[in-house]
Amino acid sequence: MRGALRLVAGACGRMAAAGAEGTEADSDGGSEELVLTPAQLIRSLEQAWLNEKFAPELLESKPEIIECVVEQLDHMEANLKRAKRGDLKVSVHRMEIERIRYVLSSYLRCRLVKIEKFFPHVLEKEKSRAEGEPSILSPEEFAFAKEYMANTEAYLKNMALKHMPPNLQKVSLLKSVPKPNLDSFVFLRVLERQENILVEPETDEQREYTIDLEEGSQHLIRYKTIAPLVASGAVQLI
Amino acid sequence: MITNGRTAPLVGNQSECSELAQTPPPRRDRENAPGAGKRGPVGGASPQRSQWGGRARARARCRFRFRFRSRSRFGAGPAPPVAAIMEPAEAEFLAEKELVTIVPNFSLDRIHLIGGDLGPFNPGLPVEVPVWLAINLKQRQKCRLIPPEWMDVEKLEEIRDQERKEDTFTPMPSPYYMELTKLLLNYASDNIPKADEIRTLVKDTWDTRIAKLRLSADSFVRQQEAHAKLDNLTLMEINTTGTFLTQALDHMYKLRTNLQPGESAHSQDF
Repeated sequence: MRGALRLVAGACGRMAAAGAEGTEADSDGGSEELVLTPAQLIRSLEQAWLNEKFAPELLESKPEIIECVVEQLDHMEANLKRAKRGDLKVSVHRMEIERIRYVLSSYLRCRLVKIEKFFPHVLEKEKSRAEGEPSILSPEEFAFAKEYMANTEAYLKNMALKHMPPNLQKVSLLKSVPKPNLDSFVFLRVLERQENILVEPETDEQREYTIDLEEGSQHLIRYKTIAPLVASGAVQLI
Repeated sequence: MITNGRTAPLVGNQSECSELAQTPPPRRDRENAPGAGKRGPVGGASPQRSQWGGRARARARCRFRFRFRSRSRFGAGPAPPVAAIMEPAEAEFLAEKELVTIVPNFSLDRIHLIGGDLGPFNPGLPVEVPVWLAINLKQRQKCRLIPPEWMDVEKLEEIRDQERKEDTFTPMPSPYYMELTKLLLNYASDNIPKADEIRTLVKDTWDTRIAKLRLSADSFVRQQEAHAKLDNLTLMEINTTGTFLTQALDHMYKLRTNLQPGESAHSQDF
């Protein structure tokens, strides 16, 4: 359940509660509020980045993480502008800002590549999503995907389709653009222990069997079986 | 499938044989990727950028097949590489977050970074910082690096011998031993005693592990296993063969499932 993310004492990057424990479930009206230190925020950004990089399909969008990271970066930039030319401190902070910015932009770029690659399927999934489920596209990404689709259709029409015989002037992008291959193999590291994960057989002679995933172990397995675990954060793709 | 006179095996992420659209070709990686395991024109998730050039579009084989070009063909630059590849530089980026001890020669009070606090710096007193900062300070000649305690000739010899004896992978002293060795020995070899021997020892260990990895990947594919457990493998090793291995497995899966013309196999229809 995705609720609001609240950062502990975000001013000046000062982690007043540096030792603060991670999460408090504050259920009011069914939404949980997660309290994260900035360090945990950066770590969850990196986790989201790695997961997005290695997953064959577009994963859920994480608007809270992105907003909080951007807020932290802006904050830090503003502080640096005001700070005096204490050369070393300023450059250290700046280096860190660059590093975080790299992860953030790589994450967003990865998502855009996937949107461009699978645009009809992404839009279809978004259309047929149930009310309470989390969205896989942020509002800006959704606008981008729609525009991309419209541009592609217009381009195909103007370049080729209108010169075709009239009964062949339709193309179904949903059928012609390849779907994400959910059967691809991925490497993963287990963060929370899982039991009884079904492993499907490759050949007809083998039978399916179940395995347990120990915490901290690494595996190579098909993406389809563990897709819900990635979404819930129980495993990390590497 | 022949495209442009070059045989490209299973170009694109195609689950059926006749796709009208084709995924935009990724930019060819310009970085030197030592041991990154990227082989030639492997299809699947990352077709190599083909030299279509100019207006070679017209060379479509079938009358009703046309190539779909992404907008990036028209001057906006090549499309970025497909997601599922981690460059060695990115593995190094992750390794740079590890903590290492330095002895500064300047003084500074606590820095509150977004990712954590870094302790007060006093000249002559050791302090722990992440590797990216340590390397930077060393380049500015503001500190002296202390090698991690596993970076020592006897220890590494032990590890290497252990690795050679066992059939499986032994746990490594650090999940980023390769990247740390490279970084520290490149930038701070004067602070590390017997740097060359250490380099050789780490390389030997790396070679043994990669050989084991190759063997086990080979048997994995041969016996068509569905799952493998790879504890004690570090990120760099996984990246070296990972991309090639997963793409090869995907191809084999596609070949296998297309043997039986099931309900999912489309012929050339619209």
